[in-house]
Amino acid sequence: MAEAMADSYDGDSEPTTRTLLRRVLDTADTRTPRRRRSARVGAQKALLEPPSSRRLSSPTKMNVRRRSHRVRSFGRLAHVHTSGNVEEQTPRTLLKNILLTAPESSIMRPESVVKPVPTPQVVQSSRRDSSRGSLELQLPELEPSTTLALGLLAPGRRKQRLRLSVFQQGMDQGLPLSQEPRGNASASSLTSSLNLTFATPLQPQSVQRPGLARRPPTHRAVDVGAFLQDLRDTSLALASPGDSLRTPVATLPTDTVLEDTQPFSQPLVGRSPSGYHSLPCLSHTEVEDAERAISHRTQSSGPRLQNHNPGKPAQLLAGKAKKVDAHAVSFPNNSSTISGEDGVEPLQDGVDEEAEERMEESLSVSEVMDTTGTQGSVRTEKSKRHREMSEAVEAKEPEGSSGDEDISGRTASPELASSTTEFLQARQPQFLEPALPPRTAVLSSEPLKPLPTRLPPRARTPGPRPRQDPHKTGLSHYVKLFSFYAKMPMEKKALEMVEKCLDKYFQHLCDDLEVFAAHAGRKTVKPEDLELLMRRQGLVNDQVSLHVLVERYLPLEYRQLLIPCAFSGNSVFPAQ
Amino acid sequence: MAFSTTVSQRKHIKRKAPRGFLKRVFKRQKPHLRLETRGDLLVHLNCLLFVHRLAEETRMNAFENKCGVIKKEHVQAAAKVILKKSRG
Repeated sequence: MAEAMADSYDGDSEPTTRTLLRRVLDTADTRTPRRRRSARVGAQKALLEPPSSRRLSSPTKMNVRRRSHRVRSFGRLAHVHTSGNVEEQTPRTLLKNILLTAPESSIMRPESVVKPVPTPQVVQSSRRDSSRGSLELQLPELEPSTTLALGLLAPGRRKQRLRLSVFQQGMDQGLPLSQEPRGNASASSLTSSLNLTFATPLQPQSVQRPGLARRPPTHRAVDVGAFLQDLRDTSLALASPGDSLRTPVATLPTDTVLEDTQPFSQPLVGRSPSGYHSLPCLSHTEVEDAERAISHRTQSSGPRLQNHNPGKPAQLLAGKAKKVDAHAVSFPNNSSTISGEDGVEPLQDGVDEEAEERMEESLSVSEVMDTTGTQGSVRTEKSKRHREMSEAVEAKEPEGSSGDEDISGRTASPELASSTTEFLQARQPQFLEPALPPRTAVLSSEPLKPLPTRLPPRARTPGPRPRQDPHKTGLSHYVKLFSFYAKMPMEKKALEMVEKCLDKYFQHLCDDLEVFAAHAGRKTVKPEDLELLMRRQGLVNDQVSLHVLVERYLPLEYRQLLIPCAFSGNSVFPAQ
Repeated sequence: MAFSTTVSQRKHIKRKAPRGFLKRVFKRQKPHLRLETRGDLLVHLNCLLFVHRLAEETRMNAFENKCGVIKKEHVQAAAKVILKKSRG
């Protein structure tokens, strides 16, 4: 008996959910009908009650709880097995489920529970020792456990430390010392098993209350690294020919690679004059890069061109500059804007001189673009200085869309080169210039940012843009519809023609609506005017009404808004 | 909807009406006038029909010229006809 007690307590020595639950269930047993049903339990109850009464005086409720849990848990298990279903979400049922779901290894086995003689201890012992299982052994165990069961459900089920102390107390009180060592050993094993099972009980609770279940938050790893890596790879591929040249210039090849994506590796002329010479080779690659990364071009194109210029100003650059022009329009703008912001003028002087010669051709292209993007302030500053350059450049520029713009753009580009270094420090995300060796640290940060942040600084025309672009974007919606209805490939010029037609159409439309509203003596154009217009256009006639057209061409949401429909309660929507 | 229910698989045409754009256009043209809320939906309907007719006419012109691609001239000729029709 002592052994059984010890065993039973061993399991309780480490307070586990299971023991607690058992206790709780045991204590609450009297109320459940299940209890009454099973005869087996009755025997247990008889055994449990007297000991529980005796044990009421036990100092620790935990002990009582544990013991009672033990006894009860066996009975409970029987019930649970028999009933198997939880009608209500009560703590009892939850505990039952937990006990059920938790592996039986910890304490009791169903078979043992089924035994007419309740032997919770036996079950537990049976786990360890199949030979065990005497009623007598159980009785003493049951007695204390019943008393314990009278205790409330421990809020600190999980307080293993407390259990242990309680268990030890219980052990001291009711259990012979001889059992203790074994109990401890078993307790450790039991507790370990209980501990192991501890985890499982949580599941049933979550099953019962799915709302409480927590999913591990799925965090998508940021692909920035991969993205940058890809950029670098591409830039590396491009910059491979120029790598040899660049390495002396750029201490960090990676940066240059990164910057390759940027059309303008930040040459920051001031930094490496020698680099400029090496840059001519780079220019080719850079130009290519620029072409590739249109978005980045704005920045790099300017400085790159500068870099390129030092080496081979004319031929290569000219050819590429032309290509880059289309792309680099944005670049110089960005670069110029950036440089303008920082206002790195002192560097620019030196750079300008060099850049002038080099930039002439490439700049011309980029400058045209730059001019569009450059900020006014930058332009003014640069224009003064770069006028000389611009003049020279202009002569060569094939595109001189606007002389001032070119000048400003040119100034921007040399400025960019010089100021790139500064910009990098000031505005890391903006420029990536492969050619800047000292900047590598700064540059490295840039490649990450410029790609995503490139888009904002793409302001081509600060002036007319606000007026034209929204209008164009609105019209583009109908132009897309036109191409969809046409079902045939169309030329770009045809689409522009469609835009003009739409403009004219809108003008006619507004005039007609004005006339109709004035005819009706109104200042607001109402749907009746629209209907009249469509009737006059021949779209609406006696055979085809407006509602038919609405139903044909407009989506449901608009149909509901336009066509009055009767709803319940004698209401019509939209109201007439 | 009988006509434009099916959308080409290649590209999805959004069916939303650019109501803000239409209102802005009207305001810009006739600042002294007001456009009602439901009116701009009908304006959008009108635009759809106009564009539809224009596209049909353009396609016919392109077929007549035995062209596989719509060119500017087709559009121009079609626009003349359709604009005249939609004068109201």
